Amino acid sequence: MTTSAPTRVQRPRIVGDAAYHVAMLVAVLVWLIPMIWMVSLALSDNAALTKNTTSLLPVGFTLDNLLGVFSVGLTARWFLNSAVVTTLTTVATVLLCAMAGYAFARIDFRGKRIIYATVLAGLMIPKEAMFVPLFTMVADWQMHNTYQALILPRIAAPLGVFLMTQFFSKVPLEVEEAARVDGAGPWRTFFLIMLPLARPAMVSLGIFTFVQTWNDYLWPLVSATKAEMFTVTTGLASLQGNFAQATELGSLMARGLIGALPLLIIFIVFQRHLIRGIAMTSGGK
Amino acid sequence: MSTTTPARSVQTQHRRRSVKVGLRYGLAFTAPFLLLYLVFVVYPVAQAIRMSLYDWDLLGSVREFVGLDNYVRMLGGVNIAWSMTHLFWARLALVLLGVLLLVGPIRRRQLSGWRVAGVLGLVALAGLLGFYPAENGFWNDPVFWIALKNTLWFTAVSTPLIAVLGLVMALALQGRRRGSAWYQAAFFLPYILPVSVITLIWAYFLSPNQGLLQRLLGYFGVEPLSWLADPALAMPAIILTTVWWTVGFNLVLFTAGLQDVDQSLYEAAALDGAGPWGKFVHVTLPGIRHVVLLVMVMQAIASFQVFGQVNIMTGGGPGTSTEVVIRHIYTTGFRDFDLGYASAMSLFLFVLMLIVSVVQMRFLGKDNTL
Repeated sequence: MTTSAPTRVQRPRIVGDAAYHVAMLVAVLVWLIPMIWMVSLALSDNAALTKNTTSLLPVGFTLDNLLGVFSVGLTARWFLNSAVVTTLTTVATVLLCAMAGYAFARIDFRGKRIIYATVLAGLMIPKEAMFVPLFTMVADWQMHNTYQALILPRIAAPLGVFLMTQFFSKVPLEVEEAARVDGAGPWRTFFLIMLPLARPAMVSLGIFTFVQTWNDYLWPLVSATKAEMFTVTTGLASLQGNFAQATELGSLMARGLIGALPLLIIFIVFQRHLIRGIAMTSGGK
Repeated sequence: MSTTTPARSVQTQHRRRSVKVGLRYGLAFTAPFLLLYLVFVVYPVAQAIRMSLYDWDLLGSVREFVGLDNYVRMLGGVNIAWSMTHLFWARLALVLLGVLLLVGPIRRRQLSGWRVAGVLGLVALAGLLGFYPAENGFWNDPVFWIALKNTLWFTAVSTPLIAVLGLVMALALQGRRRGSAWYQAAFFLPYILPVSVITLIWAYFLSPNQGLLQRLLGYFGVEPLSWLADPALAMPAIILTTVWWTVGFNLVLFTAGLQDVDQSLYEAAALDGAGPWGKFVHVTLPGIRHVVLLVMVMQAIASFQVFGQVNIMTGGGPGTSTEVVIRHIYTTGFRDFDLGYASAMSLFLFVLMLIVSVVQMRFLGKDNTL
């Protein structure tokens, strides 16, 4: 806030900036202490950890925990499950929401207003709270412990449709008219012209969906009850509170770190998109 | 009919044709989404209503229509009494809040029906809170009330904490200084972690024997605290964990909101001699009022559904000190196999959140999502 004062003498300003950055760096470090500690434990020797677990630097530095994550237990399988479920859910969500959003924004058809209002009403249905009827439905179809059960209920995201509708309604009409003059039908217009235009919105929605799906806990917990169908999130939860693991704190933390790795990579690569996706949920303005 | 001019009939024909084409493509584009939406989002609500009227066993052996028995079990009790003095102060506060909400509009002589309905709702709630089990009386399902109380407590404490902390962070990063994007990323980072990684970190971080927090607090002379094993500390520990996990999300919302505040207002305020605090109160806060409300409502709705942290870190314990509604639904359904009663409680939670959503829409207008 103080930067808005333009006529300041140069030196106090530099000092002020330095103080600001020092304060922020300290705040960031304090904020991230729990994460730094986790990384340090993951890089520590399990035997050394039985004596000292309260160091911010690795005790008896080793990569064994990280390298051993996939060789012991079902973690590799959980990772595969999460990767399959999350990827398919994300692709399907983005595509279906973009299609529906395009129709709601750009195609005139009877009943559109009512259908769109019905979709928006879905924003008020708490998915988390409705897991009991969903469970019996999926049980009737004998679909529990399958990928379909983990993917299909998560695709229909009213928020995604809303965001894509908002996006498409802002695209200038001329773009579409030009395509129509060239003789392109709605499908061609959508896939060849509108989808490429919508890439930023789709990436934001996709990243957001990816993070949410990877982190989903309650639905995989009730639907995938066989250990080999766990996702990373439910699998890691199943390891906790298991006292045998407490003696191997380092490898437990390493599993957590690897389980969060895809998200960390996405965060580093797509940080701007993710943050914009969240800002978009506030209504675009 | 024969009076229509050829030109006009061509026009209507053309129009009709384009509407038809629109309908065909409109349905084709929306059908895949709508199908999944109806099956997996809308239908479960209807199914929940149906199940809540049955004694619906998970294993399928019993499925008997019981009418409203599940609701009686949830909300009823034996020997329930009503008195003016039970929870007196909390109820008085609710009534006073209702009165306060009426004072302004009455003075301005603009009283909307929605406000009246809201105030009546508050007064009705204050009335309902007067019910309590008398001597030898009990609620049919005391755990439901404990879970509801804990959930509301969790929401009431964590929501303002997260909003204020998120706003403070956003203000500290305001003004596009060099590096502020990095700081924002660092504060945001915990939000992307799965709940089980969050609990993995915090269950050990808070541990009295192995945890780092104990060592850090030890420097200040704090005695070892067994956070998760102490009924008085377990919920604060869950709240602390949740704040750390989710504040980044709200930081981003606040940052976006702050960018929309008209910069010229700051300059005008500076010309009027306003200091940083004056600018904050008179320019920033009114400018982001809308975001503050959005954050509070989104956070409240998310908090009503708190489950993962509690289930993994404390399992609702010690005792019932961290039992929350979703976890109670989960254990009722999947430990006690009573899906009918679990559905009734799901619907209760749904209605509770619906009320919050409707209030939000009244305040925030139509163009907002949630």
